Amino acid sequence: MKILVLILYTFRELLSRATLVVLAGISTLVIALTMLSISMSESSEGVTLQMFGNPISPPLPADAVGEFVRTSQVGLSKGLFIGIIFLGVFATAGIVPATLRKGTIDLYLSKPLGRWELLLGKCLGAIAVMFVNVLYFIGAIWLTYGVKVGVWNSGFLFSSFSITFVFACLYSLIAFLAVLSRGSPIPIIGAFLYLFVIGGLLESREQVLYLISENTLYRSLIDGLYYVMPQISAMQAGITNQIMETSINWKPFVQSILSAGLFFGVGVAVLSRRDF
Amino acid sequence: MIAIAAESLSKTYTTGLVRKQRINALIDFSLHVEAGQIFGLLGPNGAGKTTFIKTLLSLVHPTSGKVHVLETRLPNTRIRSRIGYLPENHRFPGYLTGEQVLLYFGQLSGVGRSDVKSRITPLLELVGMSQWRRMKVRRYSKGMMQRIGLAQALINDPEVIFLDEPTDGVDPVGRKEIRDILQNLKRQGKTIFLNSHLLSEVELISDRVAILDKGRLLTTGTVDELTAGGYQYQIGIEGTLADTVRNEASAMVMNIQVNGNTLSAELKTTAELNRLIDLLRRNNIPITSIIKKRDTLEDSFINLIKREVAS
Repeated sequence: MKILVLILYTFRELLSRATLVVLAGISTLVIALTMLSISMSESSEGVTLQMFGNPISPPLPADAVGEFVRTSQVGLSKGLFIGIIFLGVFATAGIVPATLRKGTIDLYLSKPLGRWELLLGKCLGAIAVMFVNVLYFIGAIWLTYGVKVGVWNSGFLFSSFSITFVFACLYSLIAFLAVLSRGSPIPIIGAFLYLFVIGGLLESREQVLYLISENTLYRSLIDGLYYVMPQISAMQAGITNQIMETSINWKPFVQSILSAGLFFGVGVAVLSRRDF
Repeated sequence: MIAIAAESLSKTYTTGLVRKQRINALIDFSLHVEAGQIFGLLGPNGAGKTTFIKTLLSLVHPTSGKVHVLETRLPNTRIRSRIGYLPENHRFPGYLTGEQVLLYFGQLSGVGRSDVKSRITPLLELVGMSQWRRMKVRRYSKGMMQRIGLAQALINDPEVIFLDEPTDGVDPVGRKEIRDILQNLKRQGKTIFLNSHLLSEVELISDRVAILDKGRLLTTGTVDELTAGGYQYQIGIEGTLADTVRNEASAMVMNIQVNGNTLSAELKTTAELNRLIDLLRRNNIPITSIIKKRDTLEDSFINLIKREVAS
């Protein structure tokens, strides 16, 4: 019950921030453009997909339209993924530090509320906001393609859950860094550093990091670090497969939820020991 | 019933990563507060007052010792549903209005949404904030924040209320109103633990007072007990005091000062007072008034701290 209250009010808090309004605005713009521009024409050669009246596909046999739509949905979901990560991190990274501020944390912790509940409620609130944004975008695009082209790709609709899941895993790292630093710059820098530098290096560790040393301990440490961190790139590949309706490797998702649990658990442990 | 009990409580903060420094915020601190009292905690800046309150709310973990609130050993999350707290320099989420703040923190206190809603209007009236209930708290003045903070501390109808500088930023009329609210809460059987640097206020409403300095409890007692020991009398006279009478009075009384038509004397017993009156009457000096002046809590506090520094 109290966690639900925290989620609802964190939701409201985030809605009062400009970053999310920008994100929702961009989503609305893309949705509106897709709705207005996408159309389909049929001829004896096959079905042609059009954008603003211009063909964007060669004449396709009826059974190949679905494949073409799924590919374009992958492109849209990748764009959304980047948008969500960029703006989402900026919009939500301040939630935990704002809660831990002197004068605010005193109010929360004087209530019959465990520290883990407080952190969980705040994190789930941030994730819930991102889920609504993702669902709004994906749902509207899914509906547009379904109504206008007749392709009802459930994999694309369900990718809204997967994208939110990836964000949630990343958010556990953000929340952990926020508890440690009690400010928002370090979580933001840490998240982007992991996404664009460390994550990529760990992903291609065998080609890059292994070259630095052949020492077994060093390589074990690198491997350990890779498995401890959320598998963002691998999960992104899984989302592509989900939209394309091909088989998905669930291992990165399982590994990432364990990683998220670890970061959240350590974050709670640090928070529980801290004096305010 | 003992509402608050601290036994041999100590708290040491460690600061610095390389050259660690230890700060003893509380040293072997023991204190008991009876239920239904207004208890004032006094001390200079850095004495450990806020650390003590925060220990009672489990915001700070004690290094050693035991703490009980409402006969429950801390830390205990559930007991906080029976506690209200107004922190110093509190910050409410700026995007909420006054009534939304009460609804939010009321629900976090474990009170059902409909119960919280029914409590909001009377509480806002009690703290004089009905007019501004729909204004965002980011636009509130310091005094308004204190009032809404007090309402927040009372939203769960707590048995024990901790108030850290509750009248900070509140005008004199508002301070009087808050004092009246606290007296009324006491009549309802609530225990109020007050941390304030405004000694005159603590003196006006507290049943018992504790003074701490540098993490140690210096003394505890009623205001009368702490201010006892020596009364100052101001005797109004007509005309001026002749030097002979003055010298005789000085020989009789330890400390005497004459300022125009007023004679101020520090006396230990009523017998001394009567002897001084006899002297004045013998010398045909008309007495216009006799005012008994007690030491204020501030006088006692300053004397105690001075003695502590000297020792």
